[in-house]
Amino acid sequence: MYEFDWSSIPGALPFLVQGMYISLEITAIAIVVGIVWGTLLAMMRLSSVTALSWFAAGYVNLFRAVPLVMVLLWFFLMIPHMLESIFGFPRGSDMRLGSAIAGFALFEAAYYSEIIRAGIQSVSKGQMAAANALGMTYGQSMRLVVLPQAFRNMVPLLLTQGIILFQDTSLVYVSALADFFGAAYKVGDRDGRLVEMLLFAGAVYFVLCFTVSQLVRYYQKKLKTA
Amino acid sequence: MIAINKVSKHYGAFQVLTDCTTHVNKGEVVVVCGPSGSGKSTLIKCVNGLEPFQSGEITVNGVSVGDPKTDLPKLRSHVGMVFQNFELFPHMSIVENLTVAQIKVLGRDKPEADEKGIQLLDRVGLKVQALKYPGQLSGGQQQRVAIARALAMDPICMLFDEPTSALDPEMINEVLDVMTELAQEGMTMMCVTHEMGFAKRVASRVVFMDHGHIVEDDLKDAFFANPRSERAQQFLAKILHH
Repeated sequence: MYEFDWSSIPGALPFLVQGMYISLEITAIAIVVGIVWGTLLAMMRLSSVTALSWFAAGYVNLFRAVPLVMVLLWFFLMIPHMLESIFGFPRGSDMRLGSAIAGFALFEAAYYSEIIRAGIQSVSKGQMAAANALGMTYGQSMRLVVLPQAFRNMVPLLLTQGIILFQDTSLVYVSALADFFGAAYKVGDRDGRLVEMLLFAGAVYFVLCFTVSQLVRYYQKKLKTA
Repeated sequence: MIAINKVSKHYGAFQVLTDCTTHVNKGEVVVVCGPSGSGKSTLIKCVNGLEPFQSGEITVNGVSVGDPKTDLPKLRSHVGMVFQNFELFPHMSIVENLTVAQIKVLGRDKPEADEKGIQLLDRVGLKVQALKYPGQLSGGQQQRVAIARALAMDPICMLFDEPTSALDPEMINEVLDVMTELAQEGMTMMCVTHEMGFAKRVASRVVFMDHGHIVEDDLKDAFFANPRSERAQQFLAKILHH
């Protein structure tokens, strides 16, 4: 019978907290950039300018058809080289966090744009007509009338996607970046207590994600009755 | 004020409007009626460019609506429009509904826009509702707010697209009263409506449409006394019997 030994956790807490900080940082930035870029993509996709809508469709289809871990690896391998050759960054500088954030943001934008596109389409056409009839330009109508309503309907889906994103940040272990999962793995490996550390990490992920998803559910209920 | 000249529109092979010609002079109230699917809503939406049309010309105050060089937002900012489904902005309070376009489109400052908004709410009898949200108001109240919202832009003319069709019967009159008052004050109005009582009271002329054609365009009294076309006779017989 395997004997559990949790004693390596307390000493490793500062390192694990640092890892959690990196996970949350990647999640937060990727959500913000992903939503902004995703909104632009959604508007391009719905635009009557064919070139824009084709570009957006191509972008979304490309990122949705390849595995996230592969996109992350591309960015780990490509971005440092690009920055070296274009901007003359010193060779070997650590850009793992930057390239992870870029990879997640661009990948998630493809998913966010589909959520946002559905959200925009859920707002009745009459709202756009009414805004236009008051003399608002396309941009004003979108910004003041359509998007606020679209986002209100979309908040639950956007948050759920955010939870998935948070879980997916564990994939940065492929670049040996010490996010929460990476940190837990490293400690477990060092102390020969991998099973305990991974169980502990799993419990932390579960508590965080489950709590947020309960909040999303509560919000969804409130939205329905409002 | 509004001149519609030989306007035609089709969706693919389906002809919605055929050679429609009519006009609305300054201070006139023109009621557009006809069976559903006759193209009346489409015609009125062409007037402020919400619906594009393929041929013919519409001018509002001398500005051509179909001309690609026309600044449509600017033109629309002084042509008020009221929709069948009110289309108030549900995420804004009533008073914000009245001020958002004043501020963002006309560039008025907030106190000025608020004052104008409250004054117009008072006029349609809804001043006490200013801080509520559209979802908290009845249909008739929402439509009166929508009229006030259009008036807040100081429009040179008003377009009404079946403003009472989505209302419960007991709410129709409160909206028609506001419209009647507006007409009596000399507002130039083009109204798509089935409310023949309203037409009899305030219309200058009545335009009757069927299958995308303007079948009759006559002074109100002449239209009600003896409609010339058989189609209009049938329509009136049906609609006036109750």
